[in-house]
Amino acid sequence: MNKRFRWLISLPGRLHIKQIQVIVTLTVTAVTVFSVLIASLMLYNKFSSSAEENTYLNMGQIIEQVSSNLEFYIGGTQNIFDILEKKIDSTSDLEGTQTRSQLTTILETRDDLVSAALFKPDGKLVLNVPSVPLRPNTKLTEQSWFMSARKNPGDVQFSPPHIQNLFKWQYRWVVSLSKQISYTDHGLNKTGVLVLDVNFRTIDELSHRISLGKKGYIYIIDPQGNIVYHPQQQLIYAGLKYENLEPVLNYSYGSYEDDSTGEKRIITIKTVNPTGWRVVGVSYADEIMTTKKDLNTFIFRFLIIAIALVLLVSILVSYKIAQPIRKLERSVKRIENGDFRALVPVSGPYEVEQLFKRFNLMLRRVRELMDQIIHEQEAKRKSELDVLQAQINPHFLYNTLNAMTRLAEMGRSDEVVTTITSLSKFFRISLSKGNNIIPLRDELEHVRHYLVIQKIRFKNKFEFEIEATDEALSCTCLKLILQPLAENAVYHGIEYLAETGHIRITAEVCGDQLVIRLSDNGIGMTEEVLEGILSGRKRSKGSGSGVGVHNVHERIRLYYGADYGLHYESELEEGTTITITLPAVKMDGASEE
Amino acid sequence: MGIRHTVMRTGAAVLLFLSAGCSSGGNELRANSSGMVIDMIVKMDHGDYWNTIRMGAEVAAKEYNVNLKFKAPTNENDTDGQIRLMEQSIQEKPDAIILSASDYMALAQVTDRASYAGIPVISMDAEVASTKVKSYIGANNYEAGQQAAERLIQLTGTSAKIGIINFVKGARNADQREEGFSDYAARFPGVKIVETAYCASDEKLAQKQTAEMLRHYPDLDGIVAMNAEASIGVGRAIEEVGSSSRVKVITFDNPPEMLELLQEKKVQAMVVQNAFSNGYLAVVTALRSAQGSSVEERYDTGTKVIDLENMLWPENQKLLFPFVK
Repeated sequence: MNKRFRWLISLPGRLHIKQIQVIVTLTVTAVTVFSVLIASLMLYNKFSSSAEENTYLNMGQIIEQVSSNLEFYIGGTQNIFDILEKKIDSTSDLEGTQTRSQLTTILETRDDLVSAALFKPDGKLVLNVPSVPLRPNTKLTEQSWFMSARKNPGDVQFSPPHIQNLFKWQYRWVVSLSKQISYTDHGLNKTGVLVLDVNFRTIDELSHRISLGKKGYIYIIDPQGNIVYHPQQQLIYAGLKYENLEPVLNYSYGSYEDDSTGEKRIITIKTVNPTGWRVVGVSYADEIMTTKKDLNTFIFRFLIIAIALVLLVSILVSYKIAQPIRKLERSVKRIENGDFRALVPVSGPYEVEQLFKRFNLMLRRVRELMDQIIHEQEAKRKSELDVLQAQINPHFLYNTLNAMTRLAEMGRSDEVVTTITSLSKFFRISLSKGNNIIPLRDELEHVRHYLVIQKIRFKNKFEFEIEATDEALSCTCLKLILQPLAENAVYHGIEYLAETGHIRITAEVCGDQLVIRLSDNGIGMTEEVLEGILSGRKRSKGSGSGVGVHNVHERIRLYYGADYGLHYESELEEGTTITITLPAVKMDGASEE
Repeated sequence: MGIRHTVMRTGAAVLLFLSAGCSSGGNELRANSSGMVIDMIVKMDHGDYWNTIRMGAEVAAKEYNVNLKFKAPTNENDTDGQIRLMEQSIQEKPDAIILSASDYMALAQVTDRASYAGIPVISMDAEVASTKVKSYIGANNYEAGQQAAERLIQLTGTSAKIGIINFVKGARNADQREEGFSDYAARFPGVKIVETAYCASDEKLAQKQTAEMLRHYPDLDGIVAMNAEASIGVGRAIEEVGSSSRVKVITFDNPPEMLELLQEKKVQAMVVQNAFSNGYLAVVTALRSAQGSSVEERYDTGTKVIDLENMLWPENQKLLFPFVK
């Protein structure tokens, strides 16, 4: 349970919604699906509405056809009726066998003509073809065909379908055509009712072959709503099926939709004259919809395939875009972990390629800078080590002690005392508790003690003076920068001089710079030597303190930057002036303590 | 109308889109019934009544695309023959059996066996003494007997001698009709049932029995015939006697021959069942039952008393002459 829970929580983490790949895939898919959906919906609408229109049209035509066939059939039947009427009207001898055989012949022209008969207004039989005995109790005067013929003289009447009960041997469903006519009987002019019974055979044949789809059908009703033809006539008569006739009777022509059976059906109606019968076509909406359904499934499949395709393509495209970026991300992570050698392989789309190139360039630059820093750090450490060594210079100590011994032997105890005092101060400032930055005052004191010792050693071969403004004295400076320069001045400038040497050290603040000048009137240097000293190529040989001028220059630059350092002005036989520029950093009382 | 149509069409299109492949529910029965086999075992393989039932059944079979097997013995009192047909059907394992039992008790056991074999049994026209029967489709025969008695006593008066020509003793519908008739007649102390004969649905035997009855009871006031064949026999016997007969006749069912006698006033009234509906509904119900749907225990298809007065009423024309062609 717990495991599953954790997995669930981690799931959104694995699939970031903001991943380029996810964004591209989702967007492209959504847009495509939407547009395909809209397009297919519109197509579907167009197709299905035209299919529906076609069906309506088709159905209308079928009904039209059936009704015109029926009209033709009824017209034909009416013609036969007219012939019968004329025949009866024209003969004077109704009882004669010739008339009877003529009438029989007329009746035999068609299969669906069952019988014809002439009745007196009181219901008595005058003549019937074929001659079948009349049944008793027919109540024919009460029957609709008889009554409507009496009521509407001059017009042929069409009865609703009914059972012909007039003649023996058979009960038949018929439609009766009837009319009040005149006939001649024994020279007398009389009126009677002529009836022609027609069975449903032809109507059946006209109708039952018509199909409107698999389930659709047509039926025929008379103006009173009696069913003339229906494919399920027996079921309707037995009360097992029901046809909703009421709305049909309200229309004489046209179409409407009917929902009374629970299924949507389309009813098309056409009235047939002169009977007033209505041909009614019933078709089921769901069958019309089959075209729609086919279309529907087609579009559905199309949609699925389109979605699958689009999904595939968009996944591929977004992968192509996202992959190099992910590669970049991995490289950056490696760099983050300290591997600066890892270059990104340059590949992918143009923009990404450019990005990679720039990135690699940047990486290279960073690497160079780092190398430089490492190098500088190493140099610094080395020069510091040199300084450390200079702090206890055994050679200088030896020389000084040697000189002191000689002074002691000569009994110049004052000078010995001065030398020892200076030496001890010299070393104290050299150490300065291990600090690299010391007050300028101390630095000047340091070089003074050095020069005091050297002056005694060299038997006053040179003079020196140190001057500093108060402002300069309150500044700090790097330790052990003046002593090596003074040493140089003594050993290389003054030592070989014939007259007395002068060393002058001044310190002042110019703007934000502390400027210290050390000048001597020594032998000076050539240009080449000057250059050699500053670049560090030429090192002083012999008994130097070990901290070269170059070292001083380097240290200043390492500590304060390339703007600062040493500057030499020298002329042969005239002397040398070294200018040291440092930033004027005021002493911070607290930190110095 | 145009706008409404467009809206509806669009709506329908959207709906179709959403519910692709959703079938219309109305024709479930039709869709599933295709190829099913239903055995219909009735009492006798001939006669107008059975033919009408068969036609009703065949219309249903065609409508639902069912394979209908119509089986019957030659004689209505051939109970053993009907049991054999039942056993044969059980072996053939149809999807359902429709049974019109010629004996209420004798067919009970074999009906139970069919039910045990997993074949639903629908009883039609005449019931069988089995609780396993899913449904009964047919007339209320006891009421039909009462209707016949009511009409006959109206015709003969409350003091009358009456003879009964029934068909098979032991057949549920025959017994119930007779019982209904007797129960109604018993309300009138003057009405006496002088004789009850069983013709085994044999028209000739019925004719002979009627003639004998008329000879034996010259003062007979009324005769009732309990089914189509008995009716035809009685009708013929009455016709032989001619118009001199004062006997009032009530018959069952509606063979055309009897309708003619009705119109000729030789028969006064007939109790008519919906044979076509019986056949049709039996098949539909059997189908439902075979598909496992629940069916109603009884479908009363009703009876109607037809006489000369109402025989040509449009709704009665449809009942009496169900076949249009």
